[in-house]
Amino acid sequence: MELAPIFTWLYNRLLTVGLGLELTDIISLAALAVIVFGFLSVMALFLVWWERKFAGHIQQRFGPMMTGWHGVLQTIADAVKLIQKEDIVPAAADRKVFFWAPVIVFVCSFAAYVVIPFGNGLIVSDLNIGILYVIAITTFTIISLLMAGWASNNKYALLGGMRSAAQAVSYEVPMVLAVLGVVLVTGSMSMNDIVKGQSAWGGFHWNIVFQPLGFLIYIIAATAESNRTPFDIPEAEQELVAGYNVEYSGMKFAMFFLAEFVNMFTLSAVATTLFLGGWNGPLLPSWVWFLIKTLGMVLVFMMFRWTYPRLRVDQLMEFAWKALVPLAFVNLIYVGIMARWVNW
Amino acid sequence: MTKEELIAHITENFSGTLEIIETNQPEPYFIVKADELRDFSRFIHDDPQLMLNFLMNLSAVDTGERFETVYNVCSYRHKHRIFFKVYLDHDQPEVDSVMKIWSAANWYEREVWELFGILVHDHPNLTRFLLPEDWDQGYPMRKDWIGRDVIPLPER
Amino acid sequence: MAKTRDLYTEELVLNMGPHHPSTHGVCRLILKMDGEVITDCIPVVGYLHRAIEKIVENRTYAQCIPIMDRFEYVTAMMCDWAFCLATEKLTKLEIPERAEYLRVIMGELNRIASHLLCIGVTALDLGALTPFLYTFRERELILDLFEMTCGQRLTYNYIRIGGVARDIPPEFIPKCREFLNIINPKIDDYEKILTENPIWIARNKGVGIIPEQMVYDYAISGPSARASGVNYDIRKHDTYSIYDRFDFDIPVFFGCDSYDRYRARLAEMRQAARIIGQALDQMPEGEVRVKVTAAFKTEPGEVYSRIENSRGEMGIHLISDGSKKPFRMRARGGSYNHLMAVPEIVKGLKIADLVAVFASLDIIMPEIDR
Repeated sequence: MELAPIFTWLYNRLLTVGLGLELTDIISLAALAVIVFGFLSVMALFLVWWERKFAGHIQQRFGPMMTGWHGVLQTIADAVKLIQKEDIVPAAADRKVFFWAPVIVFVCSFAAYVVIPFGNGLIVSDLNIGILYVIAITTFTIISLLMAGWASNNKYALLGGMRSAAQAVSYEVPMVLAVLGVVLVTGSMSMNDIVKGQSAWGGFHWNIVFQPLGFLIYIIAATAESNRTPFDIPEAEQELVAGYNVEYSGMKFAMFFLAEFVNMFTLSAVATTLFLGGWNGPLLPSWVWFLIKTLGMVLVFMMFRWTYPRLRVDQLMEFAWKALVPLAFVNLIYVGIMARWVNW
Repeated sequence: MTKEELIAHITENFSGTLEIIETNQPEPYFIVKADELRDFSRFIHDDPQLMLNFLMNLSAVDTGERFETVYNVCSYRHKHRIFFKVYLDHDQPEVDSVMKIWSAANWYEREVWELFGILVHDHPNLTRFLLPEDWDQGYPMRKDWIGRDVIPLPER
Repeated sequence: MAKTRDLYTEELVLNMGPHHPSTHGVCRLILKMDGEVITDCIPVVGYLHRAIEKIVENRTYAQCIPIMDRFEYVTAMMCDWAFCLATEKLTKLEIPERAEYLRVIMGELNRIASHLLCIGVTALDLGALTPFLYTFRERELILDLFEMTCGQRLTYNYIRIGGVARDIPPEFIPKCREFLNIINPKIDDYEKILTENPIWIARNKGVGIIPEQMVYDYAISGPSARASGVNYDIRKHDTYSIYDRFDFDIPVFFGCDSYDRYRARLAEMRQAARIIGQALDQMPEGEVRVKVTAAFKTEPGEVYSRIENSRGEMGIHLISDGSKKPFRMRARGGSYNHLMAVPEIVKGLKIADLVAVFASLDIIMPEIDR
């Protein structure tokens, strides 16, 4: 049951209304934006609930059980609670920067979904610099973390913001190098091309089979990029009392929180597209395969969070620069050799 | 070393005046003069047969007529203990600090100063420790101290 | 650390205040930092000061025992025990055999519960959120046993002068044996999650080194001292109660760092389980309490009785003038000396290491503030 024909039919219907090509394009893009935004919001709510249930079961307890069947309405209850909280701004905070930090985080997390292929033909805009665009946009969140840390006028927040900036910048390098391996083999940065390049072998010609090291490096760097344990120093509760978002309350805090989950979904979606074959797969519709693979990756990230302790900030940086970057270079050389001689 | 050996060894080798309290406990109990406190501490810390290097407890007692500071020291290597105390004047209690010998005496002496009012010489940091910074109601652990809000329990 | 000559840098004063998730209890630490590195640490205590020593001077000996429970509520059984030992030494009271065995069983169960809490909280502070719940699951079993015996889960008022308050119910012994069968495989589980974990080792090895001379200077005792190679355990070297009838080892490690303190506590839990097994086997039938009237008086004298608490030496210096109430009681806990040593240990470490050191030294505030 492919979804792409439905969208094409809707677009054609819109054309017959007769508003002209540009206006139709604008309206259809706006509608797509609303649909993607709606899907992601629902997905973020779902992920929050799922994480809490999953954490509960790892820790031999149940997690939320009271609101709705097995607590499915828990996130909605939390959202309602957060909306009706008072919006406190510290007296000595930098008001403009304080206001814009969560906005930027929120916008940049969602803006990356322009190029994510949700299924066969289900991509908002197939830019030919697809993966580069995703990496560039997700890097914007670093600025907003620094803004949040600075504007809160709080030493803990400042420490958290600085640490997160250092961490994110350090882990960009191995992530990009791992991605570069895939781009080298595919010959194009467009997400659709990358997915189509993995459609041989009945849909199982996945890049992970050929570049397992690249996949590992990408996963570790992605965990660090999304500030999750074992790399969650910027929001380490026990040391920094929630780090850079300590002074935020109410809806602004909700934005940081949701943006973190949307970011995690983005990185899982990119991992699926690059290494796990995207929406390729035999029997089920393509978007179902995409969802299964992405949610599987999300599960892996969640398992990391609830089992490992966290690294200290200098060990984190040491690991990035002394271990991951050399390995990423080795991976790149290996991929280059294989692509040239074995003719992948 | 047993109690008798300890008593014998210390009284022979220490040059100051010591009194011995007879208790029915298996540890010897000495009374040391206030001005010989430092020498006595140095002696029992350094002597190779005693090696009393753990200061386990340092506290003060207000007996109504005088103050006493009580020291409980223990030896890790020889696994024996001694106790000793110093008698202090009631109106102006002062004692030397033994921090140079046992660093653990730091907070114990601070607490003794704060709660009993015993001045400790040569202590680098005699400041408020357990009580709030703006405490002005005297020295609580003294026997004659009545707090402003204290309600005595009915007698059983 | 390279000093930047042209850049003006300032020392950051960070207040790890009384409300903080990882200072155990209410302790305020004023940290002077140069970037991430701590140059000075000043603990400010007194937030939990309840004037126990002054209160006790106005209570009879039996009324003091619930107060001594709160002296260190994580190991409340052992605090009661220390106080009762001091009182009994003054009056030369002989307590029945069964009471001695019950005291040992309760004390060792409390030791295991306290170590479980410490390990769980150490893992929680370092970011491993799951072992905390696993250790608390086992601690619930112990607290169930305590609730069965005396009705309370945290402050027991069970060990009284002259014995224990009441005999154990018949379902205690099978449940206790079941717990002893479970605890060793569970400790193996914790070892699997944490001991070989490279991140755990990276966070804990070489962090918070307490050299042997510092152990002597600051009179650090308990598992923190035994992780620095100082082999001193009051149960073996200064025996009290009936510990000479049991066969157990004292685990000593030589790494002097947080990792070995963690391992020392794990090993002590296993030894405590051994002691409880032997005590359950050897326990005779009989009375559990010597009758002590309300007009209980001790002989005049002074005594310093000490027990091996899970945090070190817990000493009670009791001075009695022959009346119904203690003349002066001074209670001393192991965490006092540990917190005294923290500023020296922590110089030059980072904040994350301070959290690891604080958690591994197992500092509990009520002992310090009394």
